[in-house]
Amino acid sequence: MNNINDPNKMQIEILKRTYLISILPIAYGLISGEFETLLGFIFGLVISTLILRLRVINIERSLDMAEEKAEKFIRNRYFIEYTIYFVVLAVARLNPSLNFLATAVGLFMIKFTVLLWMLLDMVRGGLNKKLQEYKKLKEDKTEKGGN
Amino acid sequence: MVEFSPEVIDMVIRAAALLGAGFAMIAGIGPGIGQGYAAGKAVESVARDPEARGNIITTMLLGQAVAESTGIYSLVIAIVLIFTI
Repeated sequence: MNNINDPNKMQIEILKRTYLISILPIAYGLISGEFETLLGFIFGLVISTLILRLRVINIERSLDMAEEKAEKFIRNRYFIEYTIYFVVLAVARLNPSLNFLATAVGLFMIKFTVLLWMLLDMVRGGLNKKLQEYKKLKEDKTEKGGN
Repeated sequence: MVEFSPEVIDMVIRAAALLGAGFAMIAGIGPGIGQGYAAGKAVESVARDPEARGNIITTMLLGQAVAESTGIYSLVIAIVLIFTI
């Protein structure tokens, strides 16, 4: 995850993984015939995708500003994004053809993916380290046995 | 013992739910302040090492994406309190 230095590549990678994980809830919605859940989830997912894109643009713009101005800019943009989230959730709550909880889960999917990705990277790193230690130990033992 | 009419009890419950929603929204302020602070530090880092710009943007993007979660949790709770009760 930390190897990717290009923001656009990172964005595409996050979205790819998010959509890959999203196949499960979408398949559940299709198989069970709960179209409110399916629609709500897709609604949340689309909004979270667009907000991710907006965030990348905002971050890139903020890095060209002075420190205090960037702070204010990002804070203001956060509250605009927060308002968008509020409108989306309120629409999902008031519209009977959208499931509110599914919309909330759709909004959280990118965050879940990032956390899962980090966790998997951590576990993979830990396992690789242990494997290398084990290999080194084994080599040392064979060397000692040979002598 | 004082007995309240059902209308009064309903009104108290509604008022308490709206008050709770208001308190829940306080949690939305924290991530905003945190993200702003992170942005300021990112600008400082880019000024110090312009070559690390890409790395800083990706790290900041991931951090901001996760930091926002707590704000949305509070928003979900507030909306449930406002529209359900």
